[in-house]
Amino acid sequence: MMSQRRHLLIAGLIWAVLSIVSMVLMAGIQVLPEIASKEAVVEDRTFVLLTVVSMPVLWFVVVGMAYSAIRFRSRPGDDGDGPPMHGHVGVQTAWLLVTLVMVLGLFAYGAVGLVEIRGTQQADYEVHVKGQQWEWHFTYPNGATSTELHVPVDQRVHLLIESEDVIHSLWLPALGVKQDAVPGRVTEAYTTPTVTGTYGGRCAELCGFGHTDMTLTFVVSDQPDLQAWLDHLPKEPPSQ
Amino acid sequence: MSAQGPATAVSAGHGSLGHGPEDVARSRSNMLFGVRLGIASEVMLFGALFAAYFVIRSDAGAWPPPEFGGERPEILLPGINTLLLVSSSVTMQLGVWAATRGDRGRLLRWMGITLLLGFAFLCIQAYEYLNNGFGLRDGVFGSTFYTLTGFHGAHVLIGLAFIAVMANRARRGLVSAEHHTGIEAASYYWHFVDVVWLFLFSTVYVF
Amino acid sequence: MSLDRRSSPLLRPGLLRAVVGAALGAAIGAGVLMLANATIKLNAQPGHLLGLGYIGAFFGFLLGIGAFRFWLTWASGRQVDEAEEHAAHGTAGDWTRYLRFTTDHKVIGVQYLVTAFVMFMAAGIGAMFMRLELAQPGLLIGKEAYNTAMSTHGAMMITVALISIIGGLGNYLVPIMVGARDMAFPKANALSYWMLPIPVLMVAINPLLGGFDTGWTAYPPLSQQANLGQQAYLMAFVTVGFSSILSSINFLTTVFRMRAPGMTLMRMPIFVWALTVTATLGLIATSVVAGAFTMVLFDRLIGTSFFRATRGGDVILFQHLFWFYSHPAVYIMAVPGLGAVLEIVPVFARKPLFAYPIAVLAFIMIGVMSFMVWAHHMFVSGMAEYFHIPIMLTTELISVPTGVVFLAAIGTIWMGRIRFRVPMLWVFGFLWAFLVGGITGVYLADVPTDIALSDTFFVVAHFHYTIIGSTIFGLFAGTYYWFPKITGRMYDERLGRIQFWWFAIAFNLTFLPMFWLGIEGMRRRVADYPAELGGVNLFVSVMAVNIALSVGLFVYLMVRAWMRGPRAEANPWEAQTLEWQCTSPPPVENFEHIPVVTGTPYQYGSPPMAAIPPSTAPAPGHPAP
Repeated sequence: MMSQRRHLLIAGLIWAVLSIVSMVLMAGIQVLPEIASKEAVVEDRTFVLLTVVSMPVLWFVVVGMAYSAIRFRSRPGDDGDGPPMHGHVGVQTAWLLVTLVMVLGLFAYGAVGLVEIRGTQQADYEVHVKGQQWEWHFTYPNGATSTELHVPVDQRVHLLIESEDVIHSLWLPALGVKQDAVPGRVTEAYTTPTVTGTYGGRCAELCGFGHTDMTLTFVVSDQPDLQAWLDHLPKEPPSQ
Repeated sequence: MSAQGPATAVSAGHGSLGHGPEDVARSRSNMLFGVRLGIASEVMLFGALFAAYFVIRSDAGAWPPPEFGGERPEILLPGINTLLLVSSSVTMQLGVWAATRGDRGRLLRWMGITLLLGFAFLCIQAYEYLNNGFGLRDGVFGSTFYTLTGFHGAHVLIGLAFIAVMANRARRGLVSAEHHTGIEAASYYWHFVDVVWLFLFSTVYVF
Repeated sequence: MSLDRRSSPLLRPGLLRAVVGAALGAAIGAGVLMLANATIKLNAQPGHLLGLGYIGAFFGFLLGIGAFRFWLTWASGRQVDEAEEHAAHGTAGDWTRYLRFTTDHKVIGVQYLVTAFVMFMAAGIGAMFMRLELAQPGLLIGKEAYNTAMSTHGAMMITVALISIIGGLGNYLVPIMVGARDMAFPKANALSYWMLPIPVLMVAINPLLGGFDTGWTAYPPLSQQANLGQQAYLMAFVTVGFSSILSSINFLTTVFRMRAPGMTLMRMPIFVWALTVTATLGLIATSVVAGAFTMVLFDRLIGTSFFRATRGGDVILFQHLFWFYSHPAVYIMAVPGLGAVLEIVPVFARKPLFAYPIAVLAFIMIGVMSFMVWAHHMFVSGMAEYFHIPIMLTTELISVPTGVVFLAAIGTIWMGRIRFRVPMLWVFGFLWAFLVGGITGVYLADVPTDIALSDTFFVVAHFHYTIIGSTIFGLFAGTYYWFPKITGRMYDERLGRIQFWWFAIAFNLTFLPMFWLGIEGMRRRVADYPAELGGVNLFVSVMAVNIALSVGLFVYLMVRAWMRGPRAEANPWEAQTLEWQCTSPPPVENFEHIPVVTGTPYQYGSPPMAAIPPSTAPAPGHPAP
């Protein structure tokens, strides 16, 4: 009949080993499939931190459950009760303190990350975005419009987003941008793309039966390529 | 076999299904407890409506918003209504005190006056509705005004129905100094309706 | 109105008369409007007809079942017939009392439980349609049908999650657990139940009215556009809300004013505490969503502009009002399940509930804090920027009291003598599922990660893990655990074990891949997706079918056990809460003598107490229900 202390030691050891191994494994992952902006980097870093910190929490409960299920199972014919442990001030206090400190730490990290993502109001390049059932229209600084979004690499882009009808949401996964388009107001998003390429975007708020197909293409390009593309755009707004 | 028992002992207590005089008194105060809980829920309903009004109004800037025409309704009629409703709360409470003393005559009189005051309130409100320069469909100004006052008016109507039912029961001799839970419940509801009106009057008409 | 059994069933208050009443009420409601339309040219729309018809059907149904007859008698100033009121309690052994307006809380509990399971299966059929569409890339049933299936699945499941444990197990057990003979307001209790069939029917038939595509969240402006099915849902949800407010008033009055002598608040079973917090949330929060949905209905039907931006309305206002209720609502769904599992764990670990006072405090804190976190559903909605950081803080903080559930559960099983009967299996299943749900919630609470995950299948996986983990695992745990008490029979342990493993494995294999799908960019509420996600989606669909099949097995084994399972004793689990101190099933008045309570029901491992005199042995002539 093992003492409580030995049980705690063994379970604790198992927990420590599993936690450390999984934390090390998780520390090196990339969660987001595509990372093409500064904001997406912050988001992915936060993903990794949350995953690493979750590991000891996960294993604590799993080891607690599994160890108990195996070691503290009643033997056949054993009709007795366990010890009358109603509580333990030390354990309870430690639990509350540790969980409190953990969530406050996660909050602090998230708050700093959010401030970093929002950044300042300053921008190098502005695009007006209009969502409607069921496509997106982008208006560029030279007045031209398109259903494709083109933005410059390594410049801070300011998106001003509106909706013609119902709520839509502009989601550019590779840039880590998601912002609802709300009728009656202008919402905003800032992003600094860092990797050139062609990417997919999609509407991220249910907007009716065509929501499934409300996707878009967006391109991050160097300034000269972007300018060339802009010059080729028709200047009149598309016929409604 | 565990030798545990539950942490109880069995008493030679209430063998009946709970219809003795003690149980009846207990169940009456349970009723009032329940009514107070119900009123708490109604407070939250008005909370949602007022929240909507405050948000929409702060979005708008000028009030009423110039695009929809219309003007803030005059204060005179709602001001009279406020006096009527506050008086009716007083008369209702006087009725409750009469019931506590077992004075059926005065109870009926005060309830009657309360009903009249409440009815007058509704009539004046109806008149106001018909003579406002704006309607329910006139943008958010009409929407918030008529929805808030309309929900309140509906609650006044329900309250009057409740009081009328209690007055009828009192008239038939079913109310006494010991048994007047319904009168008290009706008074709680009526005071609640009055307080909502005071809030409404200040935020929709005055400020 | 006599209850003479010889008179025609159409004249007696009962289900048949209720159905007729509903049909008549609908006809009158719609008919009056059509008449007015024809004569004064009101310009009534189909929506107005539906609205008035619905209200008519609702009241017609209730009048038909006799829900109002005592109150109408009282209101008209006549004396209520005490014998009739007493008879409404029902007599043991009479199965027809489940189909009538019966005021016995045990009958009402079973009514709720059976209705909840039926709705659960109906909502599951909606899920089957969804998974059929999503099994492969491309379109099969089409976008309209998919959106309606998705919305109906959500609306029905939410309703099940809101009412199954508190309405079913709670109604049955709470009065007995606190040592009372019934709920505080038995007639109102029966009314709460019978308020449900009409709105539930409305939600079930909404596809016939054109369906609705907004999901249960019903955001305007989308919810203001067309489709009658939307209106059916909005009206039904508000109605169910009234039922639950009434139910909450009953629970709170019973718990605070009808406990047995000696049962202080800190001697109440944890399940009762959980339901007390739940009822408080229901009482305070529900009216807010009723207000919000009413505003949408008004915008649709009578020309108001609450959420029309072009007329001064504020679209995001709806989201604030909706989520102010709907976040506490998820705790209304989860907390009863948490209470059920914490009630069960000491019984099968044979140890006191660890940290019981802290668990009580935790439930109260969850309730209080649930009102402070709603805007985490709106991080990308365009709401005012200053909300984000405070809400992120409160949302992170609410994990502390929620985590206490694990402290209590693991503290109880640690060093216990665990008996792995079927209810305990469900408890372990809950611990894993709620853990996954809770951890993944942190990703959504943190704004930087939420930006990537909002409106993706990650969110779908998270809430299925938390809600199924707490509510459904808790419901199954509680149903198996209290089955012998309610029916007087025992279920088949082996079949029960098979059913548990089938459900638990299928559930995990269905929803775990969805976290990955969400990170890979698969959106919610879409009928199609990029082709490369097809393989995983097909796997998910196959696993989802297994969930449905395992629920089918559950129904089979429950019905079989109820009809011919072995008779159960008063206390087969050797538990200590009051319901196990009376017969299985309990007598109509619950106790012969109201007990006096001297401690918490978690005295396992303590020195044995004096034997209880056998005055609670089954009296002769108490048949099973």
